[in-house]
Amino acid sequence: MKVPRSLQIWRLGIVNYSDALKLQEKLVSDRKIHKISDTLLSLQHPPTYTLGKRRTDHNLLISEAELKKLGAELHYTQRGGDITFHGPHQAILYPIISLRDIGLGARNYVEKLESTMIEIASLYGVKACPGQKGETGIWVGDRKIGAIGVRIQYGITSHGLAFNIDPDLNYFKHIVPCGIADKDVTSLRRETGNGIYEAVEKPAPHVTYSKEHQCHQVFHLF
Amino acid sequence: MASRLLWASRAASYLRISVFHRGFSSVIKDLKYADSHEWVKVDGNSATIGITDHAQDHLGDVVYVELPEVGVTVKQDASFGAVESVKATSDVNSPVSGKVVEVNEELSSSPALVNSSPYEDGWIIKVEMDNAGELKKLMDADQYTKFCEEEDSKH
Repeated sequence: MKVPRSLQIWRLGIVNYSDALKLQEKLVSDRKIHKISDTLLSLQHPPTYTLGKRRTDHNLLISEAELKKLGAELHYTQRGGDITFHGPHQAILYPIISLRDIGLGARNYVEKLESTMIEIASLYGVKACPGQKGETGIWVGDRKIGAIGVRIQYGITSHGLAFNIDPDLNYFKHIVPCGIADKDVTSLRRETGNGIYEAVEKPAPHVTYSKEHQCHQVFHLF
Repeated sequence: MASRLLWASRAASYLRISVFHRGFSSVIKDLKYADSHEWVKVDGNSATIGITDHAQDHLGDVVYVELPEVGVTVKQDASFGAVESVKATSDVNSPVSGKVVEVNEELSSSPALVNSSPYEDGWIIKVEMDNAGELKKLMDADQYTKFCEEEDSKH
């Protein structure tokens, strides 16, 4: 029995990592007390390196001082996953949704995030697939194009996915991305050779995501 | 002889049910259950806590368990730690309030015990309860089994 649910989508442009984190924490609290419906944040970050709960900073290959000289920030977070980089022209989706309300577990949710990114890639003619066991994320051959890191509190999700449309891939040279040493990082641009897309701001990711959850969309301009 | 009887009675108390699209998720008869999928085994004032077979199945392979310090206070329904699987960290909540008296250090080197033995070797913390009355808010095995079936049928 499927009850129609609504998903509010906030398109935020470029947002500082700390600001996005504070916003997510507020939304998770509000979602917990049913003050708001499921919400999806669509945004980009300025150059930012982040670590997950396991604090795998041995995968950061430069000092924090050198990182700042590059014009980047470093954040330690409570999400799952290893070290990664976020920057302009990398599409980020942070769904704040109640998995409990739809009876989904972490594994199924992450699989849905993966298939969302695979579907987006295929819209641009790029064939991507999920990683091998233990390598969550999406890959084109052995090049990683999409990353996932999620936090679940009270059955409510935060953080989410990062999909490389056309970020500056040089930033990834300063880390062992996701702790996987012998694989490359790639982007939609690198795989298709085309110019910078407006795809980052296009509704395509939202439409795909909503289809996965059979939600009725409500757009909310922030 | 006594240990064989104990083993036999423990084996006999396992209630295996079939969840229609997921295959087996076992539920143990004498434990109490929270709706966030943690179990508690009560022995006098002592409570052993872990996550259920249903929970570990829905999480995927656990690669990391964040344990609390011995001596901290836990509150019913509040988070005391987390597990990480498939790049997702999921909070683990306490079904009872009290003081943590022991944590399962084995999980630091063998987090997969949570998947392979969720009710035995994969236990997470032991708590000295400060309010046994809280147990009334928890489900028994039959109620929890039904709860899981209802939750799984939502999608």
